[in-house]
Amino acid sequence: MAPLQKRALYSLVIGLVLTISLIAVLVIQGDITAFDRDPNVRYVMYAVLIGVPLVYGILCDLTLRKPRQIDERDRLIIEKSSRAQWLAVIFLLVAWTIALTEIYHDEQQVPVAFLTLIFVSALIISPLAQSLGILTGYWRMNRNG
Amino acid sequence: MAKIKNRIRRLRFDNNEMTQEELAKRAGCTRQTIIALEQGKYVPSIELAFKIARVFGVSLEEVFQYEE
Repeated sequence: MAPLQKRALYSLVIGLVLTISLIAVLVIQGDITAFDRDPNVRYVMYAVLIGVPLVYGILCDLTLRKPRQIDERDRLIIEKSSRAQWLAVIFLLVAWTIALTEIYHDEQQVPVAFLTLIFVSALIISPLAQSLGILTGYWRMNRNG
Repeated sequence: MAKIKNRIRRLRFDNNEMTQEELAKRAGCTRQTIIALEQGKYVPSIELAFKIARVFGVSLEEVFQYEE
């Protein structure tokens, strides 16, 4: 398994655990209003907001800096995976827009907590989609060449 | 359909059974890329192709062949 492939797999697992944990926190707390009620939920979200880009940046930097860890084939796969990354973010935003419009259409206003949730979800889906794109890239290259 | 074939495995064998790891190290790529090249699942850039040929001390055409 290539070093980049390993990192993508770890990122995918960490991302999935993080996503499930966040969903679990919101489900346990009841609903989206927990964000307004409970400051701890807010702090968890803020930690995610700061932690995810930080960890992602450090991991990317560590991977790309080591010359023997990454070569032209890996770079090609990374380039292709960015397509999956932005497509996932676009589809996520579309899903949020449609869902929030349909749910809150009559009230003509959306709870502020959704701003953070939208951002956090985009933040999580982006590296997740990239990891998935990288793993798919390796799988495709090994299969079809 | 055009296809680029290579003799990397043969050349490794002819060069004191050079390991994939050693070739990768000397050509500046990963072992996984050498594996993919030998299996015909990846076509390298001109730069990497030249580097591989240089490791074996042969011309580019002796490593890679373009077939139509």
